[in-house]
Amino acid sequence: MLLQQLVNGLTIGGIYAMIAVGYTMIYGVIQLINFAHGEIYMLGAFFAITFISFLGLPFYVAFLVAMACCAVCGVLLDIVAYRPLRQSPRLAALITAIGMSIFLQNLAMIIWGSRPKPFPHGSLPAYFEKTAVTFGGVNLSWFHVFIFTLTIVMMVGLNLIIKKTRWGKAMRAVAQNQTMAALTGINVNRVISYTFALAGALGGAAGIMVGAFYNSIYPTMGYVAGVKAFAAAVLGGIGSVPGAMLGGVILGVAEALGAGYLSSLYRDGISYAVMIIVIVLIPAGLFGKVLKETKKSM
Amino acid sequence: MGKLRLQDLTRGGKIRIGLLALALILPFLPFVTDYVLHIAILVLLYMILSLGLNIVPGFNGLLDLGYVGFYGIGAYTSGLLTYHFGLSFWVIIPLAFINGAIWGILLGAPTLRLTGDYFAIVTFGFSELVVLLLTNEIWLTRGPLGLPGIDVVSIDLTLFGGPKWEFIGELPYYYLAIVMVLVTVFVMYRIQDSRLGRAWFAIRDDEVAAVSCGINLLAYKVIAFAISAAFGAVGGSFFARWVTFLSPDMFKFWESFLILCMIVLGGMGNIWGVMIGAVVLVSLSEVLREILPVLGLPVQVRFLAFGLIMVLMMRFRPAGIMPIPAVAAKMRAGRVKRKKVKPAVGIKK
Repeated sequence: MLLQQLVNGLTIGGIYAMIAVGYTMIYGVIQLINFAHGEIYMLGAFFAITFISFLGLPFYVAFLVAMACCAVCGVLLDIVAYRPLRQSPRLAALITAIGMSIFLQNLAMIIWGSRPKPFPHGSLPAYFEKTAVTFGGVNLSWFHVFIFTLTIVMMVGLNLIIKKTRWGKAMRAVAQNQTMAALTGINVNRVISYTFALAGALGGAAGIMVGAFYNSIYPTMGYVAGVKAFAAAVLGGIGSVPGAMLGGVILGVAEALGAGYLSSLYRDGISYAVMIIVIVLIPAGLFGKVLKETKKSM
Repeated sequence: MGKLRLQDLTRGGKIRIGLLALALILPFLPFVTDYVLHIAILVLLYMILSLGLNIVPGFNGLLDLGYVGFYGIGAYTSGLLTYHFGLSFWVIIPLAFINGAIWGILLGAPTLRLTGDYFAIVTFGFSELVVLLLTNEIWLTRGPLGLPGIDVVSIDLTLFGGPKWEFIGELPYYYLAIVMVLVTVFVMYRIQDSRLGRAWFAIRDDEVAAVSCGINLLAYKVIAFAISAAFGAVGGSFFARWVTFLSPDMFKFWESFLILCMIVLGGMGNIWGVMIGAVVLVSLSEVLREILPVLGLPVQVRFLAFGLIMVLMMRFRPAGIMPIPAVAAKMRAGRVKRKKVKPAVGIKK
């Protein structure tokens, strides 16, 4: 029982981590809580299901194409909504972010309907359901293994991109000081777009995995997941990528254990409570820096 | 006391009196059905709520995403006190006000030290927790079943040998709501022109400057948040006694969003603008509620329009339809394409 909860918690936690990384990267670069990030996650799942049912793409191909679409959505979101407000006070950008989140959510409701949709029958690889390992009475399906592997690969890949590539270096520079980065010849807007693309792709992948895991996709799924992932990012210390990863895993496990042992009714409440407690007691999170009010903020 | 004569009034005063007169005779106009009256009460209720919320983003420049939490607390305070103890509405109003303020202080005191972003997200988490508690603490709130059969408002004069008059139908509620809006507007104007209001505006315009003038940031922000919460709770207590049924679904994040949208649309910090925002958005919401099912879309989709309004307002007119100069300048500050900013206080050359 405990082990099973732990396994589930780790699985979901890994997915939270993938979304949380998106929040934290975007926050690091432009100091904006991108509320619409949860909607990118939701769009990822819908894109995947649409590609599978209308174009008949196999699952893995649809997965990759949907991730690419989410990356594009992320970039478009930035260009359309956030870029014009780059010099505005934070309040304006924050309100825009909420507006975009609600807008996208309802757009999805118009396009795909509000009822939960499953993946088309037989479109998920058949081995997902089969048991991979059994230990201590816990069945670990191949799907769990798939999610674990993918999460780890993506996290490692992301770390490599940030640490080793020129783009990663540029991203870190922009996060530290936009003006100085621009002075050294970095195209700040392009770096921001790149960040949104990365965040979007990861968020989309997370959405597809959750959608396939529960086999149910609905327009409001991004709302709760987004808040939880944000809580994870806060827990890890916003702006810190390893923090967000750890925060996601901790939150996933805490939620699974809390739902198992305290009260399943308050499953969602656990993340909100963790978030509020962390913000009040240790606003810097596990790895982060304390936020400073800049002149920009209102 | 001089005589009040019509020609002595300013243009603004005439408009105000005209609008008030129109509001007072509205129920007797020929086209006004019960449905229209119902919407009118809804408009008035949202005016109270958006005026209350306006204190936080409009007067203090902080984003509050969890206003509906206080609205819900007020509604359930009213509902439960009526349900279990049969308290009168007139007793409940101050109780709800105090309860809202207490929760505002409890939430605000630890969190208002933080930066605006964190504050916004904490308020959001708070309102979600309120909904979860209302849904799951079945012993107290009956959970998702809802709280039915809350007494209507009544004026009970039996204690003094008078009659007991119960509010039946929409008409008495309409006038009650008008009185409540008038009181709220009056209070808002008084606060705006008081020492408290000036301190808030100073905080909104420049925190550092405000601190160096000796303004205690935390104290003033907590006061703002508490008053705002208290008005939300009063709105909620009216709502409970008006619809006589409560369920946790009524207090989801959507409501906070809608109220915030009214302020953004009308003009943050502008009392008139905020009220106009309430009129426009409640009407729009009701129109869409009629149209959307015809198009075969769920009613929820009307929030698409509200999301769009918020994005477009921030892009093109960030200080709202009726901007106040200080906010307009602030929201425009630092924009690359700088337009000429009129100074908030005219300096004569």
